[in-house]
Amino acid sequence: MTNAKALLNRRHVVAGLGLSLAPFGRSAFAQGSSEIPIGMVLPFSGATGPYGPDMKKAAELVVKIVNDAGGILGGRKLRLYVEDSESNPTAGLTGARKLLDVNKVELVGGFWGSPIALAAKPIILAANKVQMVSASANGITDGDTKGLVYRFQAKSTQWGPAGARILNSLKLKKVALLAQQNPFVISMIEPFKAEMAKLGGVVTETVLYNPDQASYRSEVEKAFGSEPDGVFCLSLLTDFVAITKEVYRGGFKSKILGLGTGADADGAYLRSVPPEVAEGIHHVQPAPPLESAAYKKFVKLMGAPEGTAFLFAGNTHDQVCVTALAMEHAKSQEGAAWAKSIREVCNPPGEEVDDIVKALEMVRAGKKINFVGAGASVDFDERGDQLNRSFLHQVIEKGKNRIIEVVT
Amino acid sequence: MIAYLTTLIVLVSVAALVGLALNFQWGVAGLVNFGVVGFVALGAYTAALLSPPLGWVGGMIAAATLCAIASTFLALLSIRLGDDYLAIVTIGFGEIVRILLLNEDWLTGGALGIPNIPRPFVSLAPAGNYDVVLLPFALLLVAAVYLVLETLVRSPFGRVLRAVRDDATAASALGKPVLLLRVKAFAIGGAAMGVAGSLHAFYLTYIDPSQFTSIITAYAFMAVIAGGRGSNTGLLIGAGTIMTLIEATRFLKDVMQVIDGAQLSALRLGAIGLGIVLLLILRPQGLLPEPHRRAREFFPTEKGGQ
Repeated sequence: MTNAKALLNRRHVVAGLGLSLAPFGRSAFAQGSSEIPIGMVLPFSGATGPYGPDMKKAAELVVKIVNDAGGILGGRKLRLYVEDSESNPTAGLTGARKLLDVNKVELVGGFWGSPIALAAKPIILAANKVQMVSASANGITDGDTKGLVYRFQAKSTQWGPAGARILNSLKLKKVALLAQQNPFVISMIEPFKAEMAKLGGVVTETVLYNPDQASYRSEVEKAFGSEPDGVFCLSLLTDFVAITKEVYRGGFKSKILGLGTGADADGAYLRSVPPEVAEGIHHVQPAPPLESAAYKKFVKLMGAPEGTAFLFAGNTHDQVCVTALAMEHAKSQEGAAWAKSIREVCNPPGEEVDDIVKALEMVRAGKKINFVGAGASVDFDERGDQLNRSFLHQVIEKGKNRIIEVVT
Repeated sequence: MIAYLTTLIVLVSVAALVGLALNFQWGVAGLVNFGVVGFVALGAYTAALLSPPLGWVGGMIAAATLCAIASTFLALLSIRLGDDYLAIVTIGFGEIVRILLLNEDWLTGGALGIPNIPRPFVSLAPAGNYDVVLLPFALLLVAAVYLVLETLVRSPFGRVLRAVRDDATAASALGKPVLLLRVKAFAIGGAAMGVAGSLHAFYLTYIDPSQFTSIITAYAFMAVIAGGRGSNTGLLIGAGTIMTLIEATRFLKDVMQVIDGAQLSALRLGAIGLGIVLLLILRPQGLLPEPHRRAREFFPTEKGGQ
């Protein structure tokens, strides 16, 4: 008896779910005329889950500011839909699909992580909508992008040379490379080696490892065993935590330069290891121009203490700003039309402006502007890659990050 | 909405193909396979690499064949290995495939993956609306695999497989070639997983190792358990229910504004786990359990025929 009852209940639940979806499909249509739907695919679970919430918050803040100031295209409001990528390409793809077909979004933005951005790219292009990513792999802007793909992040090939210049300024000449196999990291290796050679350094060893390993002992032995001056660790958070613990246990003395994605991760690294493990680790990451007025304003907007380094939240902030500005400039919400306006409102020449409300007014007044974002100066080349990304070099001392310099 | 539903149905189809294959290996033949994802990945990569030179039909056949061969070799190990040990070997196989794909970048593109995989029937599709072709194609594949496997299950071959599953020693005592039967069952399941992998590759047109994580294996087991071990029809219901639940929960946050994305994603996965636990407690035999077949279904009565 209980079984039969339970089955009945489940049927009700499934039927109920189906019913609850039905009116939703209609309401999305009804909003189409007055609101402009935009979407983002962000990680809230899985390995990159920690980055999602701040990126979402930043995007929501801009949407609110734009809407409170009267919206765009003659008083129409933006409506933001956010989907979870689960740090998994297939889930990211269905999320993007849902945004495109159910919510009818004009922009699919967000995209922390290259595999997810690459998997979703074909369907976004097929729908003739604009894709904005906060991911690094070169492949994202390669090939025929129809001019619809924009990268709000440094390209992988730019990270490598920045690392080489930092190692050089730390006077580390004999260097080993310890790198995770993923599209983002792999494309930085060759440019890094080329820059090292140019600066007179030697790469003694290149050790590649697979993500999600249970142990990194043999890789650490191999990279640190020959006692190089320094080891450039191209890692993400979970593996970097394991690797540095292994290095501490093994008592290796080589200096470590990590990527911000592993050694900072919005503070997650410092929360994951005891201070003595983290002591003296240098790290590099594309950073917002921390000293710029636009970035300082953004930190205040996020309600964070002065000096907080938001690595990726600035990028989604900028994505929404640029979308609003380009739509207003093109006087259209058609992807193909407003994508052409992106470089018009972002690149010089033009009057520099970092306030989205003021920038929208200037665009309406027909002025040529050069929008400056929170995450970067947001200038793009003709492939949609962001120019002038600056990199931040920090060192961990007594459980805290100390800024050493900004490298460009 | 239509294209989104199409996506859902295609993904359900892939999950259903994988589930059908696992149901044949594990549900009918009793061979635990925790390396499901390895076979799916092998199928996807074979289809992706061989479709450009051979066409999609060739790519798909090659994927199925290669997976069947790999399954055969793996199943041969079960000469010496009992149930639990076969499970360990298959986990190992799954890992080997993943690591090979990630590191043999001259062939597989390594972590960068393979973009621009050609798709079947592109010329038939109206511009920008490929889904109208892919949807029937996916459903047809599921129907074909379902028919083949269901026929096998109902045939004498299926009967003896169940006998081997329920008591290998007894079956062997009656002169049944247990090893050969197991190898065949494993190879047939492997071929179906290869087909599932190629459908995945054709749908996404871009594959990389991060798409083939063990969650695929987990979903396949969930589908088999939810549907009812040994029942192909139950499997289709199970796979459909699980994939629909996973996706349908996306809409909760649009309807309920109180829950934000971060909480929802945790809740979603938690709820699915809870659902499986409840299902196992309340209905351990699955939604549609394997039918108890009786001798008279297989043998003519005295009057002849039915």
